[in-house]
Amino acid sequence: MLPVPSLVRRSVLVVPILDAESVRRAWSHNADAVMLDISGVPETERRRARSLLPEAILTAARGGAEVFVRIGKDVAYADITAAALPGLAGVALPDAESPEDVAEVDAMLRERERIEGIPGGRLEIFLLLSTARGVWNIRQLLRASERVSAAALDEPALCRSLGVMPSDEFDALTFGRGRLIVETLAITRLPVGMGHPLAARPRQLTEEELFHAATDARNVGFKGALCPYPSWVEPCNRAFTPTDEQVEYYREVRRTFAEGVARGTAAVAFAGGQMIDVPVDERAKLGIDLWERCRKRDREKAAALQRAT
Amino acid sequence: MQPKRRVDRSRLTMPVNNPRFVDKAWTRGCDGFQLDLEDSVPQSQKAHARTLVREAIAKVSKGGGDVEVRINMAYIVADVKAAAWPGVLSLNIGHTLRTDQIELADACISQMERERGIRPGTIAIQYAPDMVYATVKDDELTKASPRIRWYYGGGNYDYSLSLGVEMFTGLDPLWYARNNGSLLARAHDKTPNVVARLPDTSGSVSDADRAFNQAEATRKLGGRKGSGLHPAVVEPSNRGLTPPPDELEEARQVLAFWDELDRRGEAEGMLDGTVVDRYEAARAAELLDWADACAQKDAFKARMTAAAREREGQ
Repeated sequence: MLPVPSLVRRSVLVVPILDAESVRRAWSHNADAVMLDISGVPETERRRARSLLPEAILTAARGGAEVFVRIGKDVAYADITAAALPGLAGVALPDAESPEDVAEVDAMLRERERIEGIPGGRLEIFLLLSTARGVWNIRQLLRASERVSAAALDEPALCRSLGVMPSDEFDALTFGRGRLIVETLAITRLPVGMGHPLAARPRQLTEEELFHAATDARNVGFKGALCPYPSWVEPCNRAFTPTDEQVEYYREVRRTFAEGVARGTAAVAFAGGQMIDVPVDERAKLGIDLWERCRKRDREKAAALQRAT
Repeated sequence: MQPKRRVDRSRLTMPVNNPRFVDKAWTRGCDGFQLDLEDSVPQSQKAHARTLVREAIAKVSKGGGDVEVRINMAYIVADVKAAAWPGVLSLNIGHTLRTDQIELADACISQMERERGIRPGTIAIQYAPDMVYATVKDDELTKASPRIRWYYGGGNYDYSLSLGVEMFTGLDPLWYARNNGSLLARAHDKTPNVVARLPDTSGSVSDADRAFNQAEATRKLGGRKGSGLHPAVVEPSNRGLTPPPDELEEARQVLAFWDELDRRGEAEGMLDGTVVDRYEAARAAELLDWADACAQKDAFKARMTAAAREREGQ
């Protein structure tokens, strides 16, 4: 089987740290991960925002979600010092443009792990790319630290830095999205993103509209999405999990292919004029594997939720 | 005679160990064939399949189609020995990830060319950047051997597997890989593969109408190559990639107008509401050249097929 990212991170709920009500309820939305955002906090409120992190991290984790803190690149040391506590999964690093940016954060995390007694190498880096230079250099950024586990485009910020007006009609970020997906998967990390146009122009929509956009994201290679609103979480969890119907299709593919191989052929005709060969069978195997990992993750979150209530 | 310019509108891939496909292949009208030793041949059949390649090359080429053989990355030495025979245009390495795999294939082919009296450098190598792991190494892989003449970035089934996506959702997850490959091919003076990818939600490999639409859209984008897995798509693929008479007439008018502009010492002018300049003229000349090559290929295949039918009393 191909190396694939084993993480299940279908929904990453972004919560502004100063929004006390949203932080208090962050654990209850069934997100696979919660990203507490201190990067958007005004300078005058920074100190207070950092002081809220210890309790916010514990609160956000109550439903079994992994918890990340989105730090400010220019104040990374102070933000990481406040955020790197037991219970934190990692930090989200916005605006990274060079391998040195990532290596610097890696070193800070290493130091905090030592001081806080966190096992070495546990804290992850989640890259959020918002400039052309960051997207262009993504290959080097991904390889600058073993801690890099996931990457996403911060599409609204990227549009601003490119001078692009986000539009429902025209997708200006096809290249950047494709580059992020291919480069991230090539090093077995997790590409995270939403389908056009919601990633660049996030808003509240019906559950079915959100499900449709998240399905588009899955079908081009993303493995989960950043969710700026709690209403995005369930549609994303659903869209990035293979359905029972898909799993049944995968099992049928595997049965048919195995019968073909037993007959001496590895190019087997399938329903609807399709053809099954090794990659189709491997894809089915991956689909079943992902379905099992999603179920396991859902059981973990359900158990955590039960403990919390 | 084969046209000087390669014409490869319909490359049909088939497992070399399936006589039902191989024996009739020459009657299908294909521009080329890919005899597969790789993913369509089960592991238990690999050794037997190697013994069939030489005869299969002779069989499928009777109708004038070019012959390529897809070999296994894991068995380069054994597969090259089985496949590098006179009449083979190219050996295609599936799932290439490292330059040393291409270098090994190159060395093995050189040895076989010496031993089997094939002019050195005749057999090309195509490597398949058919997974994301290859795309990030494309630059070095493409330069690994002078035998690499064509570069086709972003395969189908395998690439979708490495992205972990379904192929037939109507979206195009291979857009980046294909466009990256197209630029890279030109940057390294290789022939690129330009393909229009129409939305596909059926995954049918035998849909003739879809094959025609796909081929026609590819031609209009400037693409010149087609491939398939089922004989039903051969004719529509040939037809869709061959310029129709009205486009040829238009190209002749553009060239005539360009000659007139040139005589007048002008660099551009308007013809029926369209700007004609040296780029438009070059495009028109290429289209006419391509149409000539297609006609030569069709005539060559017709002669070869007729001769084979006569020999075999069909």
